[in-house]
Amino acid sequence: MSSGWLTTALILFPVAGAILLWVLPLRPFAVGSTALLFALVEVGLWIDSVAQFDFSQPGLQLDQRTSWFSDLHVSYHVGFYGFSIWLVGLTTVVLAAAIGYAFWAGRERPRAFYGLMLLLTGAIVGVFVAQDLLLFYVFWEAMLVPLYVLVGVWGGAGRLRATLVFVIYTMAGSLLMLASIIVLGLSQGTFDLVTSGTNGSDWIFLGFVAAFAVKAPLFPLHAWLPEAYRESSPEVAAVLSGVVSKAAAYGFLRIAIAKFPGPVSEFRTPILVLAACGLVYGSLLAFRAPDVRGVIAYSSLAQMGLITLGLFAVNDLGLNGAVLQMVNHGLISATLFLLAGGIERRTATGELALLGGMARGRPALATVLLTAGVIALAVPGSAAFAGEFAILAGVFQTGWGYAVVGAVAIVLAAMYILRLISAVLHDRVGSAVPEGALDLRPAELGVVVPLVAILLVLSAWPAAITERSFVGSAANVVGRVAK
Amino acid sequence: MIAAAWTCLLVPLGAALAITLAGNRITRRGAGYLATGSVAVSFVAAVVTFALLLGDSPGDRSHPSTLWSWLTAGQLDFGLRILVDPLSVFMMLVVSGVGMLIVAYSIGYMDGDDEERRYFAYMALFVFSMLLLVQGGNLLMLLVGWGLVGLSSYLLIGFWHDRPSAVAAAKKAFVMNAIGDATMALALFLLIQRTGSLNFEIVFANADSLGVWAANLVALGLLGGAIAKSAQLPLQTWLPDAMEGPTPVSALIHAATMVTAGVYLIVRTSPLFEAAPKVLELAGGLGAITLVMAGLIALVQTDIKRVIAYSTMSQIGYMFLAVGLGAYADGMFHLMTHAFFKALLFMAAGLVIHALAGEQDIRKMGGLRRLMPFTFVAFIVGTLSLTGIPPFSGFFSKDSILAAALSQGWYGQLLWAAGMTGAFLTGLYSARLFFIVFWGEPSAFVREHLMIGSHASGREGHTSHERHETHVHSGEGPPSMTWTVGILTVLATIGGWIQFADLWTPISSWLDPVAEPLVEATGTQELVSSLLAVGLGLVGIWIAWLIYAERQVRVPRFAQVQRLLEHKFYFDELYDLLFYRPSVLLATGLYRLVEQPLVLGSIRELVRAFREAGQGTGRLQTGLVRNYALSIAASLAIVTVVFVAVR
Amino acid sequence: MRGPDVVWYLAVAAFLFCTGALGVLMRRSPLIVLLSLEIMLNGANLALIAFSRHYAQGDGQIFALTVMAVAASEVVVGLGLIVAIARKHLDLDVDKLSTLRG
Repeated sequence: MSSGWLTTALILFPVAGAILLWVLPLRPFAVGSTALLFALVEVGLWIDSVAQFDFSQPGLQLDQRTSWFSDLHVSYHVGFYGFSIWLVGLTTVVLAAAIGYAFWAGRERPRAFYGLMLLLTGAIVGVFVAQDLLLFYVFWEAMLVPLYVLVGVWGGAGRLRATLVFVIYTMAGSLLMLASIIVLGLSQGTFDLVTSGTNGSDWIFLGFVAAFAVKAPLFPLHAWLPEAYRESSPEVAAVLSGVVSKAAAYGFLRIAIAKFPGPVSEFRTPILVLAACGLVYGSLLAFRAPDVRGVIAYSSLAQMGLITLGLFAVNDLGLNGAVLQMVNHGLISATLFLLAGGIERRTATGELALLGGMARGRPALATVLLTAGVIALAVPGSAAFAGEFAILAGVFQTGWGYAVVGAVAIVLAAMYILRLISAVLHDRVGSAVPEGALDLRPAELGVVVPLVAILLVLSAWPAAITERSFVGSAANVVGRVAK
Repeated sequence: MIAAAWTCLLVPLGAALAITLAGNRITRRGAGYLATGSVAVSFVAAVVTFALLLGDSPGDRSHPSTLWSWLTAGQLDFGLRILVDPLSVFMMLVVSGVGMLIVAYSIGYMDGDDEERRYFAYMALFVFSMLLLVQGGNLLMLLVGWGLVGLSSYLLIGFWHDRPSAVAAAKKAFVMNAIGDATMALALFLLIQRTGSLNFEIVFANADSLGVWAANLVALGLLGGAIAKSAQLPLQTWLPDAMEGPTPVSALIHAATMVTAGVYLIVRTSPLFEAAPKVLELAGGLGAITLVMAGLIALVQTDIKRVIAYSTMSQIGYMFLAVGLGAYADGMFHLMTHAFFKALLFMAAGLVIHALAGEQDIRKMGGLRRLMPFTFVAFIVGTLSLTGIPPFSGFFSKDSILAAALSQGWYGQLLWAAGMTGAFLTGLYSARLFFIVFWGEPSAFVREHLMIGSHASGREGHTSHERHETHVHSGEGPPSMTWTVGILTVLATIGGWIQFADLWTPISSWLDPVAEPLVEATGTQELVSSLLAVGLGLVGIWIAWLIYAERQVRVPRFAQVQRLLEHKFYFDELYDLLFYRPSVLLATGLYRLVEQPLVLGSIRELVRAFREAGQGTGRLQTGLVRNYALSIAASLAIVTVVFVAVR
Repeated sequence: MRGPDVVWYLAVAAFLFCTGALGVLMRRSPLIVLLSLEIMLNGANLALIAFSRHYAQGDGQIFALTVMAVAASEVVVGLGLIVAIARKHLDLDVDKLSTLRG
C-alpha cells in the first residue's frame, strides 16, 4: 500500500468497519468478533506504517494532501511524525484491548456499541494524523460524538449527569478552539499546519490551551473527570483515560507549543504551576479515594499534570519524556481500568473498604495487578520511571521547584498505588468478595497481558520511543522557544 | 570478563521470570532449586570475573560495558551499562555468595509453605536487583537497582500478605525508601544539568567544578537515599517492622545486602562526597548517633529478630561512621564481615524459630543450649564476632574503623567515643540475647515444644502445629538449613583474617584505585583503640552474664528510660504526627473543600445558570399583542434614527 | 404638475399612519386593531402613490397595488381568527388573549 494511502486507511478502515456493522444483520457474537477483527487488522496496519516510517528523517512522512476548500486554503492533509506514530499505535492497541474486553464481557445493543467504538478509533487516529487545522477540529469533534453515546448509554447509574458535564466542558473548550482556529487560519491565509509559520497572538494561543486543558484535563478544569471515569463502562474509561487525554497532550505539543513560541514562554509559568498543582492534587486525592476507579481516575489527573510539565519544559528531556510517558500512561491506565472492570464483575463493587484478600487463590490476578501497579507507581526500572525521570530532569532545568514537587509526587504515587494494591489483594478477605470469584480468565488475560507485555518491553528499552520521536533536537523541531 | 559479569547479573532475573511464568508447572522444591542454582551460577560468574580482574594491573581495573541505550533525549544518552571494577566485584562476591547460602537455607526454612514458588521468584528478583545496584555503570542504573531492591523488599516483607502487620510494614518500608529515591533523583537532575551525563567517569571528573552549592546539594540528595536504604537516622523506622518478613529475607535483605547499599553508594560516589566534605561529616555523625541509639533500643527488645535488626542498624552506623571519615576500605571490610556474622545470627535465630513452631518472643525461650547444640555454637560465633572479640571476623573490621576515627581530630574523636559506647552496648545486648535464649534450664515453652520430641514446623508468629513429626532428637534444624549455617559460621570466624590493621591489607589495596581512603591510623592508635574496644565488649558481656545468666544482679529499672526505649525514641509517633496525619488531613481537606465544590458545583452552577437565563428571556414572551406591537414600533423608530444618523 | 406639493400628501399619509399606529397600540378590541392596521396601510399607500406621482414613475403605484393585495389577505386571516375566537365565546380583548391556546 503506498505510503500516503496507508494513513488514510488507518482512519477510514475502522469507519468502514463501523458502517459494515451497522448495516449487516449479524448475530451478537459475530458482531463482536468482527469488530475485534477490524481492531486487530488496524493494529496490523499501524505496524505496517511503522515499518515504512524512516525514523532518521525529519519532517512529515506517509503524508497525503488534497485540497478541500481551496478558497480558504483548507486541505485534507494527513501524515506522521515520529511522536505521532507512537500515539497512533497506542490508540490502535488500547482500542483493540477495549473492544476485546467488551467482547468478552458482552454489551447490550452490540451493533451500536462496536460501531461506535470503531468510529471512535477512526476519529482519534484522525486527530493524531491531521495536519490541517480545520481537519484537526473535525476529527476532534468527531471524537466527542461516539464518546457521548458510549458513556451516556452504556454507563453506570450516574451516567447521564457524567455525560452532561463531560460534554458541556469539552464543548466549551472546543468552541474556544474553533474561534482560535478560524482567526488563525484566516489571518495566516492557510489552515495547513506544516506550511504555516508561527504566530505570536496570546488570545489565539489561549483559545487552543483552553480546549486542551479541559480535555487533558489540567487542574482545575477537571470537574468532569471523576464522574466520567467512574460511570463509564471499564473499556470506555480505559479509552477515555488512556487515549483521549493523550489527544489533548498531543494538541499541546503539535499546535500550542509548536506554533506559538512567544505565548508559550509568556504563559509557561502559570501553566507549569497548574500542572504541578494537578500532579500533587491528583496524587493526594488518589491517596484518599474510596474506590478503585477513583484512585485510577485521580492518578490519571496527576499523570496528565506530569506530562504537561514535561511538555512545557520545552527541552529535549522534557519533550522526549512527555512523549514516552504519554504512551506509558495510556497503556497503564487502560490496563488498570480493565482490571478494575474484572474486579467489579466479580465483586459487584469498587469500594476499597469492601474488598481485600483477593490474592489468595488467584495468582494470575495478583501477578498482573501487582505488575501493573508497580509500573504505575514508576518503580525505578519501569518505563513509567524512565518517562517520569526524563520529564522531571527536563523541568528541573526550567525551575528546580517543579522537580521538587515532582519528587514529592513520586513518594505520593508509592503511597496511593500500594494502598490500592493492598486494599484489593492483601489483608483479610473483603465482605464483597465472594468465595467463588474466579481468577482472571484466559480471555481477560488475553486482553490485559499484551498491554503489560508491551509495558515490560518498554521498561527494558524506553529508548525505543525516545530515540524515535524527534529527529535531532526536539526543541528545534517544534520551533524556537526562549528558555 | 564482561560476559561473566553480565551472566552474574542476568541469570537470577531469568530464574525469577522462569518461576513466575511456570506457575504451577514447576514444583515448590523445583522453584527453590532453580532460584538457588541461579544465584550459585551468579556466584561462580562473580568469582570468574574476580579472577580475570586480578589479571589486570591495579591501575587498569575499570571496564564498563553497555548493552543498549536505555533512555535518550537529544544529546543525552543513558545506557544499560555495567561497570566491572574492584568495588563492584567485591560487592558481587558478597551479594551472590551470601545470597546463595541464604537462598539455599530458605529451601529448608520455607518448606511446606503454599506460596514457596512466589517466594523464590521474589528472592531471585532481589538478587538481580542488588547486583544491578552494585554493578550499575552509571547513576541511573544504580538508581534503577536501588528502586528494584526496594520493590523486592516490599514484596518479601509483605510475603505473608494475609497478615495486616506484614502488609503495613511492607508499605512503610517502600514509602520510606521512596523518599530516598526522590532525594537521589533530585541529585541526579542537578548532575545532569551540570555535567550532561550520569556515567561515573564523567560525573566524578567534574566533581570539583560543581561549585559549593551544587556539590552539597548533590551529596545531600545521595545521602538521603543512603540513609533511607540503610535505615539510619532519621529514616530508620522501617527496619524493625521489616522483621515481619520470613527470617531468610531478614537475613539477606535486612542484614547482609540491601541495607548496606547506602554504604556502597557513599563509597562509589566518594568523589562527589569529597567535594562536599560537610555532608560527609554529616554522614559520619548520623552513623554515630544511630549506632548508639539502636544499641540502646536493642537492650529492651523482646523479639529475637528485632534485637538482631537493631543490631544491624547499629552496625551500619559503624559503616557510615567509617565512610563518613573517608575510611572507605574499612567500611567495606566491615560490610563484608557483617554480612557473614549478621546473616549467621539471623539464620541461627531462624533455626530457633523454626524449632519452636514460629515463636519469636525471647521471654518464652531459655535453655536451648543442650537441645540445639549446633545452633548454640553458631550463635556464640555470631555474637562474639558481632561484639568484636578476636579472633572472630568482627574484631578486625570494627577495630580498623575505630582506629581511623581516633586519628581524625576532635570530630573523629567524638565519633570514636560513640563507637566505643557502641562496643559496650553491643556486648551487652548481644550477650543478653544469647543468655536469655540459650542459657539456663529449658523454659516451659521450650519443654513443651522440643523435649516431648515433637518437631513442629510452622510459620513465624503462629504457634500452630501444622506438622508433627515425633522424632526424639535434639530439635535441631533439618540438614538443608544447617549446612548453610555451618558455612557461615566458618566464614564469620575466619572472614576477618583477610585484613589486619596496617600489616596485612589486601582489601585496602584492592579498593584503593576506586576509593582512596582519607585517613590512616597510626600503630599506637590502633593498639589503644583495639584494646579498649575489646575490653568494653567483654565488660558488656560480663554484665549481661551477671544479669541474665547467673541472675545475680537484677535489671536496673528506670521506668521513663524504659518507656523511651521501648517506644524506640518515639520516632514512629513523631513521623505519624508530622507526615502521615497531615497528608491524610490535607487530602481529605482538599477533597471536601476543593473537589466536591468543583465537581458538584460545576454541575449545579451550570444547570442553575442556564435555567435562570432561560427564565429571564422567557419573561419577554408576555403573550400580549400590544407589547409586541410596541416593541416593533420602538425598534423601527430606533433603526430609522440610526440609519439616518449614520448616513 | 398641478395640485398640492408632495409634502402635503406625505403629511396626510403620516397623519393616517400615526392614527393607525396609535389605534393598534391603544385599542383593546381586535376588530378595532385590525381596522387601525388598515388605516396604517392606507397611509403607506398614499405616501407611495404621492411619490410615484412626484417622480413620474409607475413603481410606487405598482407597489401600492401589491400592498392592497397583501392587506386584503391579511384581513381575511385576521377576521377569520376573530370569528373563531367569537365562536368560542371568549372575550374579544387583546390583553386577555395572551396565551396561544384555543
